[in-house]
Parts: sequence; C-alpha cells; structure tokens
Amino acid sequence: MIGVLKSLATTMEHALKGETFTVEYPDVPPEVSPRFRGVHKFSQERCIWCRQCENVCPNDTIQIVTNEQRQGEQYNLHVGQCVYCRLCEEVCPVDAIILTQNFEFTGDTKDDLVYNMEQLKSVPWYNELDPLEAREPDRGSWVGEGEDEVDYQ
Amino acid sequence: MSTLEHAPEGAVEVDPDEVVDRLGDRVIGRDEHVNAPAVIIRPDEVVDTLTVMRDEFGFDLLSCVTAEQFPDRYESIYHLKQYADPTTEFSIVVPTDRDHPQSQSAASVYETANWHEREAYDLIGIEYQDHPDLKRILLPDTWTGHPLTDDYNQDKPQVVAYEAHENPLLDHTEGAESDTILLNMGPHHPATHGVLHLKVTLDGEQVADVEPDIGYLHRCEEQMCQQGTYRHQIMPYPDRWDYASAGLINEWAYARAAEDLAEIEVPEYAQVIRTMGAELSRMAAHFLALGTFVLDVYGEFNALSMYAIRDREKVQKILEDLTGQRLMFNYLRLGGVAWDIPEPREEFFENVKKFTDEELPASMDEVHDLLTDNEIFQLRCVGTGVLEREVAKQYGAGGPVARASGIDTDLRRDDPYGIYDQLDWEVITDDAGDVYSRVLVRVREVEQSAKIVRQCVDLLEDWPEDEREIQSNVPRTLKPDPDRRVYRAVEGAKGELGIYIRADGTDKPGRFKIRSPCFCNLSTLPEMAEGEFIPDLIASLGSIDIILGEVDR
Amino acid sequence: MGLPVTPLETVLLPERIVDALGLEGYGVLGEFVAGLLAAFLVANIMLIMTAVAGPWAKRKIRARFTDAIAVNRVGPFGLLIIVADAVRLLSKEIIIPEGVDRPAWELAPIIVALSALLGFAVIPMGSGIHVADPEVGAVFVFAVASLSSVGLVMGGYASNNKYSMLGGLRAVAQNIAYEIPLILIAVSVVVFAGTLRMSEIVAVQAEPLILVAGIAIPSWFAIVNPFAFFLFLIANLAEVGRNPFDTPEAPNEIIAGYQTEYSGVYFVLFYLGEFIHIFLGGAIIATFFLGGPAGPVLPGFVWFLIKIWAIFLLTQWARSAVPRVRIDQLLDIGWKGLLVLSFLNLILTALIVGVIAA
Repeated sequence: MIGVLKSLATTMEHALKGETFTVEYPDVPPEVSPRFRGVHKFSQERCIWCRQCENVCPNDTIQIVTNEQRQGEQYNLHVGQCVYCRLCEEVCPVDAIILTQNFEFTGDTKDDLVYNMEQLKSVPWYNELDPLEAREPDRGSWVGEGEDEVDYQ
Repeated sequence: MSTLEHAPEGAVEVDPDEVVDRLGDRVIGRDEHVNAPAVIIRPDEVVDTLTVMRDEFGFDLLSCVTAEQFPDRYESIYHLKQYADPTTEFSIVVPTDRDHPQSQSAASVYETANWHEREAYDLIGIEYQDHPDLKRILLPDTWTGHPLTDDYNQDKPQVVAYEAHENPLLDHTEGAESDTILLNMGPHHPATHGVLHLKVTLDGEQVADVEPDIGYLHRCEEQMCQQGTYRHQIMPYPDRWDYASAGLINEWAYARAAEDLAEIEVPEYAQVIRTMGAELSRMAAHFLALGTFVLDVYGEFNALSMYAIRDREKVQKILEDLTGQRLMFNYLRLGGVAWDIPEPREEFFENVKKFTDEELPASMDEVHDLLTDNEIFQLRCVGTGVLEREVAKQYGAGGPVARASGIDTDLRRDDPYGIYDQLDWEVITDDAGDVYSRVLVRVREVEQSAKIVRQCVDLLEDWPEDEREIQSNVPRTLKPDPDRRVYRAVEGAKGELGIYIRADGTDKPGRFKIRSPCFCNLSTLPEMAEGEFIPDLIASLGSIDIILGEVDR
Repeated sequence: MGLPVTPLETVLLPERIVDALGLEGYGVLGEFVAGLLAAFLVANIMLIMTAVAGPWAKRKIRARFTDAIAVNRVGPFGLLIIVADAVRLLSKEIIIPEGVDRPAWELAPIIVALSALLGFAVIPMGSGIHVADPEVGAVFVFAVASLSSVGLVMGGYASNNKYSMLGGLRAVAQNIAYEIPLILIAVSVVVFAGTLRMSEIVAVQAEPLILVAGIAIPSWFAIVNPFAFFLFLIANLAEVGRNPFDTPEAPNEIIAGYQTEYSGVYFVLFYLGEFIHIFLGGAIIATFFLGGPAGPVLPGFVWFLIKIWAIFLLTQWARSAVPRVRIDQLLDIGWKGLLVLSFLNLILTALIVGVIAA
C-alpha cells in the first residue's frame, strides 16, 4: 500500500508543480542545433559540377544533368527520398550544397518534393542562420587519402 | 580465439587443432575468418558436430547463422560463442550443393537455430532437413523465389492466388469442438510495439500457445547494405535498424566489423566520443523501452511513460547537439567520427553533466517511486513471464533479457571495444528471469550508462587540444581483400548486435548479414508466455523490448 | 456556532415544476409532463457534465499529471474542443461488422448509457433538484447501475469479435465480484441511517457529530466510518472500471474490450455511459458518505457537483499512477479481500448500532 501511495504522491507532486515539457511548436519555433540537418540549399556559383555528391548519395536522391562540355544544366534533388545523411555536404569540395537547419517544407504530392536547381537555391536559412560557420572547424577533416594512390572516384 | 590472459569463469579454452582432431572425418577443410577459426564440415554431420562443440568445447551460444550463395555452392555459417567468454569464437561452415542445397538442421542442438535457419531458407533458399517448421519467416508464405540469390528476378511480379486470401480462420470458427480459441494479436495491436503478429491460442484467458509471426517491416536492409560502398554509403542505414534512438550503437556495430575487415585503426579520442555517444543512445533507448513497457502494464493514462519520454527527450537534445540529428545520427565514420564535440565545448559538457548529475538521479528516484516500489506493479510482474537461464541460452538471448535471467554477459566487458575496459562500471544482472527483473535490469543499466558518460566527459574535458584526432587516415575507396570474412558484435541496447561481412574484392560487401538481438529475444516469447494470462503475455512482450525494425530488418 | 447546513428541499423537482407551470389542473397528465421535464433537466445536466469531462477535463487533468499542456488551441482554454469533438464523433460512419447480432448489438450501448442515467433519478442533488424519492431509493440506484453489465456483455457477445467477447466476460466477472461488496458496504450505511430513502440518508448525515473549536462536524458517514468509505471508494473504482481495475477495457491487452467494434454514435453512447457511470459512482459516494449536497456557504447543488468532480478527479489520479491488475488478481481481491472486509464492516456496524439502540 505504501508503494501505491508513493506513486500517487509522485504524480500529484507533478500536477501541483505544474511544469510542462511540451514544445508549443508553431507559436514558439524550436531551437535546433547548428549541426541539425534539414532541407538542402544549393549554390550554383560555387558548384563545379564534379558529381561527387551524386556518386556518394546512398539512395540516388541527387540527379545531375550536364552537357557535353561538363557544364551543369540541371541539379535535381528529391527531398522526400533523402535520408539526411549529409554525405553530399561532406564530400563537396566547395560547399556548394549544404543542409540548412530548415525543417519546414511540405508538399501535397510526392512530386512537390522533387526540388530543381532554382528551388534548391531559394531555400531559406532557418532563423537567418548559415550553419556553415558551425560546421567549418571539422570540414574535410575526415576525408583522408590513405597511403595508397589517390582515387578520385 | 581467446585474447585474454586469464579466461573468465566458466569459459573453456579451445585449441582449433584439438577441435579438428575431435571432429575427425566430419571435417572436410579448414579456414580462418578474421574473428575466429573456422572448420568446414559435411552437411549431413551438422547435428553431431554442433553437439560436440556445445557439450565438449563449451560453445553454449549460437550467435548467428549466416547463409550465403556462391557460384558453385551454398554455405551456412554457424557462428559459435561462449556466454562466459564471447572472445572464444568458432565458425562452423557447412557447404552444400548448388543444385540441391540441403543441409542438416541445427534446431535440435540450439533452439535459436530454428528462426535463423528459417530466415536462411527464406532469403537464400537452403533447405534444412529435420527442421521442426521450415517455412518462410520474413517474407509472406506465398512468396516465390529467394531474394538474396543471384538468379532471383526481382522485377518479376509476385502473383498471389485468390485462394491464398481466403479467411485463414475459417477452420477455427466452424465446427470446432476444441476448448481453445485462436486469437490474432496484431499486426495492428496497441501492445505489439509496431507491426508484429502473434498467433495466440487461448484456453479461457490463459495462453496455451503463442507463435510470433514477423516480417511485416522487412525492408531488405541486408541487401541495401550489400549495394552500398563501405566507405560512405552503408553508414546511414544502421540508424534505421533499431530506430528507437539506439542508432549510434548500431553504427558502431557496422564500424567495428568494417574496421576489423579493412584493418583501420581508430584514434583514442574518437573512441571516447563513440563510447559517450553510444551510452547516450543506450540511455535513450532504455527510456523508450521503459515508457512503452509502462504503457502496456499501466494503461494509456499513466504518468511514468510521459516522464520517461521527457528524459529521453533530454538525451536526444544532447545527441542532437553532438550529431546534428535526433534519431538518424549518421555520426560514426570508418576510422572515427564525423564531428568533434560542438563548440563551445564547455557548454556541451555542462549540459551533459547537468543531465547525468542532477536530472537523471532525480528522475530515477521517480521511476522507483512510480514503478519498482509500487505493490500492484510487483503483483503484476514478479514471477510472471519467467525465462529460465538455460532456456535463455538455448534461444541465444542477449542484453537485458539474458542478464535478467542470470546470464552474466555483456560484450562491453567481455569483448571490450571502445574504451569500456578503461572505465569503471558494472554489469547488472538479476537471477529471477521474470518481467520485473527485466525491467529492473534496464532501469539500473541507465544508471550505469550515466556513469560511463560522466567518465567520458571527464576524459574529454582534459584531453590536450592538439591531440584531438577524430579521424584516422582512411582511403576514399575501401577494397578489402577478397574472401575476408568477419563477424563482429557490439552490445546493442537490446543485446548482441553482430555484423557479418564477406568481402568480395570490390568496394561493396559480398554478403552483409545482421544478427539482430531483438530477433533472438523475440523468439523466447513463447517460453515466457505459455501458461500465463493475456496480460502477462503483453507484459512479457513489453519487457523483451522489441523494435520491429530490428527484428525484421 | 453550528455549521450552516443548507436545508434540504423536501419538495421534489416535478412537484415544483407543476407549481411553476400551473399544471395542477391536469391531474395525472400534468404530473407526468412535469416528471418528464424534470428527467429531461437532470439528464441534460449529466450530459453537459460528461461533455465537459470527456473531451476536455479528462485531457486537461491527464496533462497536468504528465507535465503536458493538452487541448489549448480551440477557444479559451481549449474549451471549444468539446464542440469539435462532438461534431467529429457524431459525424463518423457507423460501421456494422459482418456477423453481429443486430438487435443486441444496437441495444447494448443504449442500455449502458441508460442504466447510468436512470440512477440519477433518485439522487438528491440539492437546490431542489431531485426527481423522485421512493422509499427504496438505495435499492433502486444499485439495481439500475448494475444493469450496465448486461449492456456490456451484450455488446461484447454480439460483436462477433474475440476481443469484445473477452472484454464482455471480464466486465461481467468484475461487476459481480465488486457489486456485492459495494452493496454490502451500502447496507452498513443503511443500517446506520435506518432508512432506504435517499433524502433521509442525506438528512441523517446533516446532524452534528461533535463540536471542534466551535464548529459542528456533521455526521457524514465518511467521518463516522472511514473504513467503509475507503472500501467503498475501492469497490467503486472497480465498479466503474477505472485503474487499477480497468481490465474490461484494457486497450493494451484486449483493445478496449466490448467497445472494439463500435463506432460513431454507438461509440459515443458507450463513452457517455462510461462517464455518466463514473459520475453516478461519485453521486452515490456523495449521497452515502459525504452528506449529499450539504456544505457551507455555497448552494447545495454546487457542493454536490464539487463532490462528484472530486471523485472523478480521484479516478483520473489513480489512472496516472496505478497499474492495472490482472483479471484473476482482480477477482481475488474482490472475492477474498473486499467481500470479507465488507462483511466484517457490516457485522461491526450492525453490532454497534444494535448496542446504541439497546
């Protein structure tokens, strides 16, 4: 009986204290970590069309179309299919693609979630924050070359 | 092979030559896997061989059964271990004919082989003779073909005859003279924690028989990993096996196997971060396990489930700061981790310390007040859903389920990886083997994890600034030598999470096999629940703490 | 200085309606119309309370216990969720599963809701709201309340669903096991009061028991016999099927038991019946142990509401912290524990009353 009363007392204590843990999301935008990986942002000025992101993507989310002179024509990304692993950002040598902290994107159909280059360029920063700063210190530090000859994929 | 100087209590030293001598002419060859010596035996001598291995050489744990297809043959590999010393490993390789893949079943020696062999039959197509119930386990019964074979045409539509959709219960509802009723629990039942189907035979309210039917969440994880490159593309997927926050541990399981396969060294600093991250993940996973278990026993209105979720949320916040994501971390890399501790470092450490030192002890007190001290809870859980020690071993149970049955096993201590062997913590065990002790073990493991995290923070705080090496030098493309095979396991939140990889000389694995702890633990459910009441069946299922994503893969 | 006790209205509600509307001249027909109006009024009070309790108060209370916020988006304090939920529930399709036993299946929710509502006919709610006051009021209220188990087993059996069947059977087993102790404890109160008439049971409790610091403590049976009160509270929890005794529903085990197959309006009726049942349990406790509508300053009806909401809060509080017992343990507690204790209580009460009377 004591244990049951202790249990009852515990919940009553919580009720009387009245603290809440709920995030009132649309009213209060949540703080996300600078490392949070949300929807992608693309920079055409930086991109050198090396296609590393397309190659590294684990589930073929990125599709790049280039012309015969290897100049970029299309950069399509299916954000509905993306697993947000950030590998594209990691392998990019010029920071042309970066995962913003923006998680607020919707679509009525799956097709709406296929972003083309223009849409990717106009993705807003979350809270006006460019996360590149927070990620800069470690950029590229893990991409070693090994002792063998360099392999450029 | 035992790497320890003094074998732990109960462990048996094994000399491979002695094994080969003892097995005599059953052996048709020898091999050496990265993790263990292997002998190749005849397919009609499996039962005898495994019986000898179990009874004379002390291999009481059949970790995993891996089936593979080669151009000229099929192979089943039985990965044997000792509970007392998991570093004493042995692989029994059973090759079978390509045209008639028939092999003797090991289910009479190890109960756990039952499910593992069903999976091998399902995905690869090896037929195990004398198997008690050789039918598909992950795929529907109507499936044609075996998906992991090289001649499988995956574009061919799976045509299911109309008759297959007839009411399967028709026989049970009409003219049944028996006293029992068949109750389908799931696939959409509030207490099955996902899409699990339990075929329960009831005698009144008592469970006469229960048969788990899994596979509703099968996502071809093994095949997906076989199609990804070692270096980058596999790492995002382990997060999705045990998706209830234990992602970092899963990643470590892959990282450990692949690093051993490719002989990659991991810097000490990265190991500390990995250890801390893995323990945070474990805490989050155990909180979720506690919360959902409580839902099953208390009903949907209870407060403790919400308190548990609240604590898990705090852990997730820390993990988000560290890894950038709340569930699908993708934080580990082969040879290290992706990121150092976030700047400002002091703030991050303060957050972690605030959680482990202040918030966690308070909420643990609450858990004890609300749960373990509650007499009605004890009434419900003490002595119900009992899993005996020897039965648990037979089923290859691991993690809190095994430890609550009195099996003193923990890979973090027995087969140390990371920096676990340098830290001060305990393995929690309990002898009762009932629902209550499984929950209690889990609750107390959270405290031990907090202890580990706290020590890691101390180490990281004092780490010299110029030695913070988070990543070793790893080539961009990894191509391990062909036919190197490794089976490596880490202590997942639910038990031994093992990965078997066979390299085939390319930058992608030739065979990638996941030994899921939930899969083995779930197979113990009939042992726990038979003869008990429906509520005890639910409580037992909750106390196993299954994640269907990991069961079905 | 005595505690100011609101004098109990001796005039029943239908009679007052007859007076107010000038129906004296119509004889039996006038009384009949007045009775209908009174019943309509009381039923609506209960429905309003249920509407507040179900979609709103329950969630708010639960949120308070679990550190959450709960409904706060629609209207002030989220109160308009009541309207939204009502529209949502009523507009849902009524799915009639294959193979149900139609008449029984459709009658079951009506019986459940009705049995709980009927009980309020004899409950004196203060401020003159009292529909009928028969000599055997106490018997009537328990008889009607236990009708609901008929509805539950009908619903469970007629649904052609194994979970419902289990739920219905559990409900009956539980109701029988706990109704007997419940009634035995009530009998001890009746022995004390010396009457079965509800208004008289309340009146007996209005008399001062002792004077403490100049304030008269009324002889509420909860104060006179706290042991019986405690037993009654527990038996009542089982009777209304709330934690730790919510086994007939047990969504995690048998998926809400007897109501699994019900949707739309029928589900609302079950839901309604359940809540009115909780309130009826509260009303019985208030009448038998807490002096009915008696209380200082505020009008009687307000006190009555406060008391039954307190009981409601108690059931929700128990839900937040107490696990569900297993069905066999529940029956053990009922037959081996509560029944024995309630007999003990009855015998002791009878002895004490006999001694005083002698």
